[in-house]
Amino acid sequence: MQNPGPELETLLRRLIDLPPEFLLPPRIAGKGTVHTAALVNDLFAQVGHTAPEAMLRRLSSVREADRARLLLTAVVCWLLADRWFVKTALPVPGLVQVFDDAVGGLAQAADASRYVADPDRREELVRVVLARMDFRPQGETLEQATDRLSSLSAVERKRLLAASRAAEKRAREIREALARKAAEESADKWSRE
Amino acid sequence: MTRGGDEPDDADRYPTLTDAGARMLRRLREHPAAPVFRNRSGNRLSAEDLVEVRSFEARTLDEPVSWTPGEVPAWVASFVAQCHAQVPAFRARGAPPQRFDVIPSTRRADLAADIAAYVSDTAPIDRLINFRTTGTTGHPMLIASHPQVAARYLTFHKRALKRVGVTLTHGRDQVGVVLLGHQRRCFTYVSVTPQMDESGLVKLNLHPVDWQHPDDRATYLDALQAEVYAGDPISFAELLRLPVRHRPRALISVSMALSPALRSRLEQRFACPVLDVYSLNEVGPVGVLDPALDAHVLLQPRLYVEVLDEADRALPAGARGEITVTGGFNFCLPLLRYRTGDVGSLAMRGGAPCIVALGGRRPVRFRNAEGEWFNNIDVSHALAGVPLSHYGFRQAADGALALSLRPHERELHAGQAVEALRPLFGAQPVEVETLEAEDKVQQYRSELADAEVA
Repeated sequence: MQNPGPELETLLRRLIDLPPEFLLPPRIAGKGTVHTAALVNDLFAQVGHTAPEAMLRRLSSVREADRARLLLTAVVCWLLADRWFVKTALPVPGLVQVFDDAVGGLAQAADASRYVADPDRREELVRVVLARMDFRPQGETLEQATDRLSSLSAVERKRLLAASRAAEKRAREIREALARKAAEESADKWSRE
Repeated sequence: MTRGGDEPDDADRYPTLTDAGARMLRRLREHPAAPVFRNRSGNRLSAEDLVEVRSFEARTLDEPVSWTPGEVPAWVASFVAQCHAQVPAFRARGAPPQRFDVIPSTRRADLAADIAAYVSDTAPIDRLINFRTTGTTGHPMLIASHPQVAARYLTFHKRALKRVGVTLTHGRDQVGVVLLGHQRRCFTYVSVTPQMDESGLVKLNLHPVDWQHPDDRATYLDALQAEVYAGDPISFAELLRLPVRHRPRALISVSMALSPALRSRLEQRFACPVLDVYSLNEVGPVGVLDPALDAHVLLQPRLYVEVLDEADRALPAGARGEITVTGGFNFCLPLLRYRTGDVGSLAMRGGAPCIVALGGRRPVRFRNAEGEWFNNIDVSHALAGVPLSHYGFRQAADGALALSLRPHERELHAGQAVEALRPLFGAQPVEVETLEAEDKVQQYRSELADAEVA
């Protein structure tokens, strides 16, 4: 969330205006209406990138268990087709993280339709998507955006907790590595301060 | 890194060792006049590391330091962004600021409090090594580093040597460098430098305690025929007392300020250039003194140096303040406006940025009741086992000793600290005082005549 992003209100409005076709059943194992991978492919093209093949394969599902994720993927495609994203140079790693990681976590917590109909869930979806691409809503400080996101989103809280644990683990490993005798033995420098 | 345990073996220490390298190690260790080598260490460079080290040298050896004081070089913006993305302590500050001059400085105390927070996410934990600082101005700490980083020092020494017309020529079956110490306790070992075709590297202690006979010191040094001696003013002062006949091609003095008198004596005696290199564990070799310019010429093209006041404001060229660095070649520990604890001013001299009137590195000596001298590094070593975050140590003109500790540490560790000094000062009483200053103190002071190495 290091970078200032679009207006929150605009994106919330955009979700309210979601065309109902986006919530039609996704195509799974030859049945269903919405070709989710094709939607994502189009979105990447719209923002000036090529969608990674491996990611598209993961969206061409044959498993019923992926239904909720695919439905929410379609909703996120609609959200990211907003003019602000199209004219902004969106980072590919951030986009991939949205579809590969964020959407899956959010889809486990609630149905796609709730992320459209329920005001809190709607805001959660917008904020999580922005955060994964390192944006925060326009006019908010990093601290405000972080506070609001973690108060709204159990998914984000879980992710932050995991990230904080991972950071603590790495810090502990660094301290341990530096304290080991092997590290103390050091390595050759041509002078010693 | 180590196979089957914490204890490294020779395969860890010298991953690319050939028969010639092994022959060199044997020669260094088994010479009849060789000292006791108290430790084991090595270059730790894999074949892949060596490719990287050579590539670093190829692009760094002749790259000019092309900024002028007060003008932030172009590479700094992306470096700051990288620090904010990859270093936990900087990431926690949020987005990188638009202006460089509003970035808060980092102090030695910050690194000492938790070095892990300053280690880049990209640093491979299984290759981490440490360098323990025994500086004269602050908190003892471990610096995170990497074998490639240690090997890069040579590139900067070559830059410094080039300024005085010396290009290193040694190689296989020759000794490249002898690192001299003169301390009660000293980390000593032998190794080879693979990027110089496995020339020998010896780190030894000139203190007689490490030798079978004191005369062996000169015999061994003459036998090695090293191209370079590296040391500090204290070890070089001792070297002058020995009947060494060998003439190295250069002497490199680091750690502490080298007095003009000692430099001149060394130059006369060894008939070679004597380089006074300003170097810090945290950042490596920063500059080399050019006597004609009366300034330390900067050595690292990717190190931006500022002089700051207490409020983190960059001072203009010519104004004296704390030397503060950004960048560096230790990719494990990228530094953002790191205050070195040393003072000086900036100037353009000879077409390059320089540090003028560098201060804060004077070696300090202490004497015990038997008349034996110790330097500040000995005191650091003696106290290394006591968990002190900060301390001051001084000796009055009448020889009285005083140790200053922070209030809570005084309560907990005063007895242990005084005990730890006993091997140096025997039964002489050490008065324990309370240290009130939070950050910068002059850690070592001696009011004895001859306390500073002339």
